[in-house]
Amino acid sequence: MSFYAIGKRTARKDSVAKVTGWEKYASDIYLPNMLHARVLKSPFPHAIVKKIDTSRAEEMGAIVVTFKDVPDKLFCPRLVSTPDATYKDWKVLTDKPKFVGEPIAAVAAETEELAQIALESINVEYELLEPVFDALESMKEGKPRIHDKIMLNDKIIDIENNVACRLELQEGDLEEAFKRSDIIIEREFRTSRGYHNQLEPKVAVVNPEPDGGLTIWCTTQTIHNTRLLISEIFNIPVSKINVKKLALGGGFGSSIQTNIVVPIAVALALKARRPVRLAYTKEEDMHEHSSYQMIFRLKIGVTRDGKLTGGFMENIMDIGAHQIQAYPLLGTCAGWWVSLYKLQAIKYVGVAIYTNKIPSCAYRGYGNPQVTWAVETIMDELAEMLGMDPIEFRLKNYVGERDLFWGQGPTVKSIIKSCGVEEILKKGSELIGWKNRPKPGEQKGRFRRGIGMARGYHTSSAGAPIPSQVIDYSGAILKVNEDGTVDYITGLVDQGGGTLEAHAKIIAEELGLPLKNVNIVAADSQTTIYDVCTHASRGVYAGGGAALNVARQVKEKIFKLASTILNAYPHTLRIRPDEERGQAVIYVEGLPGKEITLGELATLARIKNLGTIAAVDSFRPPACPPHFTGYFVEVLVDTETGIVKPLKVVIGADVGTVINPDLAEGQLHGGFIMGWSRAILEDLKYNEEIGDIECRGFIIDYKMPTAADIPEEIKTFFVETYEPTGPFGAKGLGEGAQNPAIAAISNAIYNATGVRFYELPITPEKLLEKLKEKEGRKLAVEDAVKLT
Amino acid sequence: MKIELIVNGVRRVIDVEPNELLINVIREKLGLTGTKYGCGIGECGACTVIVDSKPVLSCLTLAVEVAGREITTIEGVAKNGRLDPVQEAFVEEGAVQCGYCTPGFIIMAKALLEENKNPSRQEIIEYIKGNLCRCTGYINIVKAIQKASEKITLKERKTT
Repeated sequence: MSFYAIGKRTARKDSVAKVTGWEKYASDIYLPNMLHARVLKSPFPHAIVKKIDTSRAEEMGAIVVTFKDVPDKLFCPRLVSTPDATYKDWKVLTDKPKFVGEPIAAVAAETEELAQIALESINVEYELLEPVFDALESMKEGKPRIHDKIMLNDKIIDIENNVACRLELQEGDLEEAFKRSDIIIEREFRTSRGYHNQLEPKVAVVNPEPDGGLTIWCTTQTIHNTRLLISEIFNIPVSKINVKKLALGGGFGSSIQTNIVVPIAVALALKARRPVRLAYTKEEDMHEHSSYQMIFRLKIGVTRDGKLTGGFMENIMDIGAHQIQAYPLLGTCAGWWVSLYKLQAIKYVGVAIYTNKIPSCAYRGYGNPQVTWAVETIMDELAEMLGMDPIEFRLKNYVGERDLFWGQGPTVKSIIKSCGVEEILKKGSELIGWKNRPKPGEQKGRFRRGIGMARGYHTSSAGAPIPSQVIDYSGAILKVNEDGTVDYITGLVDQGGGTLEAHAKIIAEELGLPLKNVNIVAADSQTTIYDVCTHASRGVYAGGGAALNVARQVKEKIFKLASTILNAYPHTLRIRPDEERGQAVIYVEGLPGKEITLGELATLARIKNLGTIAAVDSFRPPACPPHFTGYFVEVLVDTETGIVKPLKVVIGADVGTVINPDLAEGQLHGGFIMGWSRAILEDLKYNEEIGDIECRGFIIDYKMPTAADIPEEIKTFFVETYEPTGPFGAKGLGEGAQNPAIAAISNAIYNATGVRFYELPITPEKLLEKLKEKEGRKLAVEDAVKLT
Repeated sequence: MKIELIVNGVRRVIDVEPNELLINVIREKLGLTGTKYGCGIGECGACTVIVDSKPVLSCLTLAVEVAGREITTIEGVAKNGRLDPVQEAFVEEGAVQCGYCTPGFIIMAKALLEENKNPSRQEIIEYIKGNLCRCTGYINIVKAIQKASEKITLKERKTT
């Protein structure tokens, strides 16, 4: 299929603003007469506030709110699930802190410094409770109760043994499947906890309006759910809350939920009757959200000829002190597992456990990178046991075209209609030199090279043919201006990947517009119709679907109007971009002169009182098509220091039609480095003595990759497929771009050293320890110690 | 206390506290919000500005320390409404995603190319490795700086 806008390399519309410092993020909003806020947080991981004295702060003139001043109401900060699947255990400010960093009180003053001074004057008396930091410990009988009663939708439920929620699934006869198996493999995997480390810390600026409403500027991936939540907590009519859409300094899942700074700033602004700005520091941000730690027990059977039979998976998730989306995550983890390879029988037990840690939330991939790491490690092991090529083994078992795909847990399913897995694996293996890879564990010497691969996917949206427990639809408004441009108005937030750029191309393509004639205009929750959230790699697929939906309606209206002016039947009209005139031209084929530019048409329509050409509509994605990726990684392992370096990386992707080729490549680059970080570097370790993360929120002690960590060579490619349910054949990409990375890196390290890892991250210390176990030799450090 | 700063070529007299950080003066007193707060402890580079030709972390610098000196922020990089070759290259190479780290990287690239017109890939990496980016994986940022260097060389050849 040939396109003129889609697939072209163009400078993204927001890039000039971003390279010149003009772009406005929530942190750049300063209002006249504004107060600055600071938050008092618990220094203890588990405690009860016995007494709180804020009198000195008030004497200083500060506005103070504590748990006594906020609605005594449990809520869930994330509103993506339907109410019946939403667990509520949060309060805006608490008198029973459950992790170090949980907000207890907040103050607002004329400057940030005065706010801090006022904050430090607050006296709190705590009664300390025993904390628990390990999920497996926490779920044992007799451990301290972190939550007593929480709510599921509008019902109160009791929490026993710190089990936040659970999900069990069973399909087919697993016992029979295991009986048929020639090999049954069972492994336990433990992932790390990661911090999103989006560059922009969380911030909220709230302006109280004279009608009792609020205007809010904040870090968010969803302006509509933010206003719904603030309405729910503070009992303010939803229509009186306006959330502004801004550029977001990275999200990666950390702003799917309404960040806690928003309701805190709202509480202060309502009390002060003045605008309030609450901007977290990096240290505070690191205490706001992290990824989930997961402990998997995975058991999979296979017959001698390499056909998988059935599998059992146990998933124990450490969710930290509160639920953000633990329940849907239990479902998606099951889905990511069963949608990788065909299993005739499955059993899944998922349990989410409270601990006294920072609350966990979605982090790029929503459990998929972790599950894929476990499954792809096992697939590698099984291939070796069977004496099969790992790629051949995967191709024999993968879930592909015409199979059922679980896009977002057991209630979101659709049939796969486009799949480029074979081509990805074929081309990727050629580019990396798969055939010539070393035999695992055969190398000697200090430096060892290894090649590993893994494949994966992610859903594109949580769409499906029938309603589910996940809300997923987008809305758009499109109107034609008298200069021949169109204004595209959407509530969908661009996290930075260039989603809205893709929408602009989709609209340009459909309407025959030069790309520059699509304006992505400022928007907020008052002037847009509902969009659920930018998550689940749904921006291009579902949001783009919404853009295409209104573009089609606008096109129909253009033709109807033009037909009277050109005296031709509407269905015989065509539209094309005329770059020279900088206009879309509506014309009758074969009749030169029978044409009008879109600008002329819109102007005529105005003069003749025929109205503005515009459309507004919601769009529900009909499916959740997976976009597929394949990773091939060559690493160099230094067996004396344990340091691993990426040498060459090849990433292939099937995203259906590629709309923004350069931005799509950028997703793969960023996906690799983030995956590298999760495989090798990052872990938000807890120090049980202080009850806090070891790095205390200081990014200096939380290493993430820098430019010095990039591979010498990185090659990306896209295979050609066409997704029939996607806008011009497109699917998502943001999460699949990263999902198989950890597994491929881990498999490459195995190929280099012969050592398998079942715990993340694979730090130099762990690597040396394992090598020592395997090779029985002393570590270089020990030699060094001896020498001194 | 009053200090004088030459900010993006314009002389500004500002009342500052002795303990006031340069980043806060730039963002809140001068309203130049292109300079970003990322970590506040000099680890991410998002707040980098140029003070007399050298890159400086404005979150670790007191405003009084740079009194009387010339400061270039991201808002001062484009001249007369025209993008600098570094900015052009960032746009063209897809080096911008969420854009929050971008001002810091562009300032670093400007400073690097002032020092060394034709840096090698390794020299670029060494120079910018103190700046963090979570979106791009740095690949296109390195490419953009390489391209900017070529653009500048080409431009100079044309003018001589």
